[in-house]
Amino acid sequence: MKRYLITEDGTVIVGSGYGSPVTGYGELVFTTSMTGYLESLTDPSYVGQMLVFASPTISNYELHKGVMESQRVKVSGVITRDAHMELPAGSLGGDFDRFLRDEGIPAIDGVDTRFIVRKIRQGGVLRAYITDNPEAVKDFPDPMNEDLVTKALDSTGIRNIKGNGEERILFIDLGSKKTLRDMMLNHFSLTVASPDSDLDSIDHYDAIFVSNGPGDPQHPSLKPVVEFIRKNLGRKPVFGICFGLQIIALAYGSKTYKMKFGHRGSNHAVSDGRRVFITTHNHGYAVDPDTIGDFHVTERDVNDGTVEMIEDDMMMAVQYHPEASPGPHDTRWFFSEMRRRTDAAKR
Amino acid sequence: MPRRDDIHRILVIGSGPVVIGQAAEFDYSGSQACLSLREEGYYVVLLNSNPATIQTDHRIADRVYIEPITVEAVERIIEKENIDAIEPHMGGQTALNLAVKLKKAGILDRYGIKIIGTPVESIELAEDREKFYEFLLKLNEPQPARYKIRRENFEEDIAAIPDRPVIVRTSFSLGGTGGNIARNREALTSMAESIFRSFDVDYVEVNESLEGMKEIEYEVIRDSFGNCITVCNMENIDPMGVHTGESIVVTPSQTLSDIEYQMLRDSAIRIISGLGIQGACNIQFALSEGKYYIIEVNPRTSRSSALASKATGYPIARIAAKIAAGYGLHEIVNPITKNTYAAFEPSLDYVTVKIPRWPFDKFSVDRTIGVQMKSIGEVMGIGRTFEEALMKAMASLDNSFATSIRLRLKDDDLWALIEKPNDRRILAVFEGLFRNFDIKRMSRLSGYDEYFIHKMNNIVKILRNIDLGHIPENLMQLKKIGIPDEIISSFCGIPADEITRYRIEKNIMPVYKRIDTCSGEFEVIVPYMYSTYEDEDEIPDLKNSVMIIGSGPNRIAQGLEFDYGSVKAILALRDMGYKSIMLNSNPETVSTDFDISDALFFEPVTPEYIVNVIVKTSCSGLIVQFSGQTGQNIAKRIEDILGRSIVLGTSTEDIERVEDRTTFSQTLESLHILQPPFAIAENENDTVKKALTLGLPIILRSSHVIGGRSMEIIYDVDYLAERARDVFTVSRNVLVSKYLENAIEMDVDFVSDGSSYSICGVLVHIEEAGVHSGDATMIYGPDVVNKKVRERIERIVESLVKEFRLIGLSNLQIAVRGEDVYVIELNARSSRSLPFISKATGVDWVRLAVECMMGSPLRPMRIEASSYFVKVSVFPFSKFQDMDVVFGPEMKSTGEAMYPGRTLPEALRKSLQKDVRSVLITVRDEDKPRILETARILQEKGITIYATAGTSIYLRDHGIKAQTLYRIRDRREPKILDLLSSGAIDMVINTTEMSTGAVRDGFRIRRLCIMRGVPLIMNINLARAYADSLGDVRLEYREISEYLRVEA
Repeated sequence: MKRYLITEDGTVIVGSGYGSPVTGYGELVFTTSMTGYLESLTDPSYVGQMLVFASPTISNYELHKGVMESQRVKVSGVITRDAHMELPAGSLGGDFDRFLRDEGIPAIDGVDTRFIVRKIRQGGVLRAYITDNPEAVKDFPDPMNEDLVTKALDSTGIRNIKGNGEERILFIDLGSKKTLRDMMLNHFSLTVASPDSDLDSIDHYDAIFVSNGPGDPQHPSLKPVVEFIRKNLGRKPVFGICFGLQIIALAYGSKTYKMKFGHRGSNHAVSDGRRVFITTHNHGYAVDPDTIGDFHVTERDVNDGTVEMIEDDMMMAVQYHPEASPGPHDTRWFFSEMRRRTDAAKR
Repeated sequence: MPRRDDIHRILVIGSGPVVIGQAAEFDYSGSQACLSLREEGYYVVLLNSNPATIQTDHRIADRVYIEPITVEAVERIIEKENIDAIEPHMGGQTALNLAVKLKKAGILDRYGIKIIGTPVESIELAEDREKFYEFLLKLNEPQPARYKIRRENFEEDIAAIPDRPVIVRTSFSLGGTGGNIARNREALTSMAESIFRSFDVDYVEVNESLEGMKEIEYEVIRDSFGNCITVCNMENIDPMGVHTGESIVVTPSQTLSDIEYQMLRDSAIRIISGLGIQGACNIQFALSEGKYYIIEVNPRTSRSSALASKATGYPIARIAAKIAAGYGLHEIVNPITKNTYAAFEPSLDYVTVKIPRWPFDKFSVDRTIGVQMKSIGEVMGIGRTFEEALMKAMASLDNSFATSIRLRLKDDDLWALIEKPNDRRILAVFEGLFRNFDIKRMSRLSGYDEYFIHKMNNIVKILRNIDLGHIPENLMQLKKIGIPDEIISSFCGIPADEITRYRIEKNIMPVYKRIDTCSGEFEVIVPYMYSTYEDEDEIPDLKNSVMIIGSGPNRIAQGLEFDYGSVKAILALRDMGYKSIMLNSNPETVSTDFDISDALFFEPVTPEYIVNVIVKTSCSGLIVQFSGQTGQNIAKRIEDILGRSIVLGTSTEDIERVEDRTTFSQTLESLHILQPPFAIAENENDTVKKALTLGLPIILRSSHVIGGRSMEIIYDVDYLAERARDVFTVSRNVLVSKYLENAIEMDVDFVSDGSSYSICGVLVHIEEAGVHSGDATMIYGPDVVNKKVRERIERIVESLVKEFRLIGLSNLQIAVRGEDVYVIELNARSSRSLPFISKATGVDWVRLAVECMMGSPLRPMRIEASSYFVKVSVFPFSKFQDMDVVFGPEMKSTGEAMYPGRTLPEALRKSLQKDVRSVLITVRDEDKPRILETARILQEKGITIYATAGTSIYLRDHGIKAQTLYRIRDRREPKILDLLSSGAIDMVINTTEMSTGAVRDGFRIRRLCIMRGVPLIMNINLARAYADSLGDVRLEYREISEYLRVEA
């Protein structure tokens, strides 16, 4: 069935529709990861965005529920070149088309995805619709103005989870990935709290961790979280990844900015000047290097110099995703390093 | 970290002649490494005995040694060139083995030589099976279980081995295949019993078989700081049990989840880091149901790394060389984007499929494939989908796969082809889909992942609905799936070229996407492109550029030599100020290095894909002379589709006149040029009749052949009838020509501008006419052609140049008897011998030819040889158990080496690469008088002569002492085979009856020579030439230009 991808600059791309017939809207972004399509689709950091897969071959291996990074598909639309529909269902009980339909997510296939990737690279991220009804498309509001974090969360409130460590981490959940929590639980026990909870009321924890999440870190809804971190700087060890790094930097008084088209993929090299790590990225915002606060930038992106790791005596955060999923595991040392620093701070 | 300044003069070792399993890919990696090191200001000295390589060109290396790749030669070069470092990772196993030998011989220490890149200790750890096993054990990395069956503990040991397929090995390899498979305990028991019965071994080694599992490879690069990345992974469509060089391979992996992908990547990095690799390497895994096993690590650039470089655009060898020079990955700029760094992992937004090219169209041998490599070359197809990439790869093969994907076989035979690995398995699966075979069952039997069969079914589903008799209405849809015009043609019955013409008219044309290592995330500078039917075109402005087509996959008779010409032609065009476009489908080549041309189109070398590029770029000319026979065959078709002429150099009309054997022979007649007596036959009976009129032996030749296919010397009438029948299945008429006995064949390469010409050189075959020019041993040197003959050759060349308006390069094959010169064949293109003659004369003939093609007049010159150069062919006999070692007009060799010398004996001696103290002579009766002189020389030089009974008596009757050896059937000692096996014989001179049927006697002797690496001389003239080179001959190794100077 014919379906349309319509971008804010007026480009209309025709493809064949699959998944849900509903109209999808969001910021158009691309990932260059060649594996882990289901992990990407269910990554809460993509809330408010429609995902273009640069890799043409999607749904090329079975869907397995176990690799979902949250309970639902979190992108608002899927754009593919060659999604495969005929594979056995895997553990999800349905093929890819059926899966997306059940999830209520529209998708469009047979698209010259490289053209869209290049378009985004040249002009920056674009807002776009996926629709069966091109006449209905009118305005293109900025999804980043919304409170995306709330939308990203599968559950809210405060809950304790016992892990493989005695140390307890206050895990501020801004839309965290399941693998991230699993990795944390290998080393710690967690008190997972959504940003709307009364963070000050929580006690008995050894360190604070700020998770990944969607949207703009300077969004007003996140002010209380930034404030909470600011209060705790120097008092408890503070850690974070991705969106979490940006929140922490804001707490130090740094600024963040929206990147032209962000980093999304599994092949980004970061370096401390000597060692190189291949890391997974998924961010559209970054810390403004001209506003570095009272901390050190210890790693940067090899290609464009983006701030990738910041450190202080009691703070450590990375812009990339050490939990990967999808992507390489080169930086999983980050979790044991957090453990080491938490131990050291306790002593 | 800055570049290393503790080294200055680096010796790069090449891989030598092209053999199965080690081919042109090492010219690519070696050339890249040399350029990369020179870029850093190092002085690069190159050693390679293969003259067909581009790396043995002064544009690539500062100093070039075309000499045997031996410890002795390297030691001399170290002294002469003041070498302080060696780079041995770019020349395949040959170079790596040599590095290990140099270390063992103490030469590295003696001269203070550093091995740059991966250290020798790491190489040894990765290559020594025992050490590697222990190493993996220590790292706790899974590998196939190992068992031992000891002779004294037979029953118990067997009982301890699980009743599953296993691989059985002895301490020495059985026939070079690395091991035999026992399917169950019963088979294992009988196999082990038989080994203990036949061989004096204490134990048999048994390995768990991983047959049937997925085979996955990773290309890994690690720098000296410990930074380690994977360039890409590759998924073999054929499961374990088929050598990766024999398998159809997809990049990136298509059926691996992120969990599996990362699990293998993690393991790869652990192992490569543990080994201490500094540079490029390849690691292979077997994968099944989430579990993996390590198969092996190649601690060097490889065929896979060449493939990965082309598949990703990430130039592995170039980067590895920088690492060897001391740089870290994050300090090396990515040469394809020029604005990112080498420290990243390529992301692909397309799919590539590699298919091996087997020589089964040439060799009548067993077509099953397995752990032993049999393929000679490979092709790669690039597309946005697997379907498109697969179809392009098949189109590139330049065999029947390219024109039809149907197999007319019975269902049972089809299932057998699906189950047992063989070259046609992919076709059998296609055919199975056409017949609605169960996909699950095909997947189970073939080991192909169901995913791939589903994708193939997308092709079948659309092809099935094509009607006969007209061009399909849904042509655009067919093209979007990636189906070539040739295949569409095979279903609708309209000629492919007509479909192509129609497409151009209707503007159903592809766009060109770039390969950029990053899926479009960064801007790419280099135009490395492939076609697809989508929206956005990334083709740059290439108006007025000149296009050169390559020769496609390496195969018998068409290989590396043509790549040399292509690359030199591009360089010449660049120097002349023209923009160049390269089109080729062979990932093993230098010509498909994106750095060489102004634009690279990685596409099948077929009219459809060539014409598409011509139309899209509006390029101004097309050079087909470096595309081997492929270009000659399609030049006319290209112009017919376009409706205008575009081919530069000799025109397509004249190419046709040269290629058509009948017209050519008639033209020679009208020019009063001698040729072997011939007749043209129109059918089978006519052939027999005319052959008998000419008198046997005769040669049958049909038009448009590659490497003399359908060509054979025929001695008897029965066989003549049989062959005549065969010939008319591929040809409408055939040239029956008299075989000239006792003639000497010569190869003459020349450059011409349509009226003036220069002869590049005359190569004289040592063997008599009848041995294919690609197989013959040849000599270039002073006074090897007498003055009278030379003058006659010049006169012939002159009249051919004028008659056929030859512009550019041509190759003439002649037979000389006495002073009579007979023309056998003319090719209006670059030849296999051109790189050799270019190196031997030091003249850039390709440049002169390109200048002629671009319209400049030629300034004729005359080149005199000042040294001797011997061209020796290498053969794949050891890879084909069922192939006899005999030579004839069908070419069998895979590659060549060049051995230079100030004297002929010096050059010949270099080709032996060993001391010869004993020679076995066994020759047919008619050769006995002719072997006397050779035997006398051997005796004078104090060489022990062994001979078979008949030869022995004859020699003794003529006063030559020979020790008699016996055949098996003689039931007497000493036996030939025993002495050969024990290594007591250093060389064998053996001639056989040329008629078929009488060749079986010597089969075992010849095979044993091949397996044991004993030089086998099968020709009296050659034996005579070699006799002079034995004994006390002083060898000197010189830079190639030293041979070009006249000695004072």
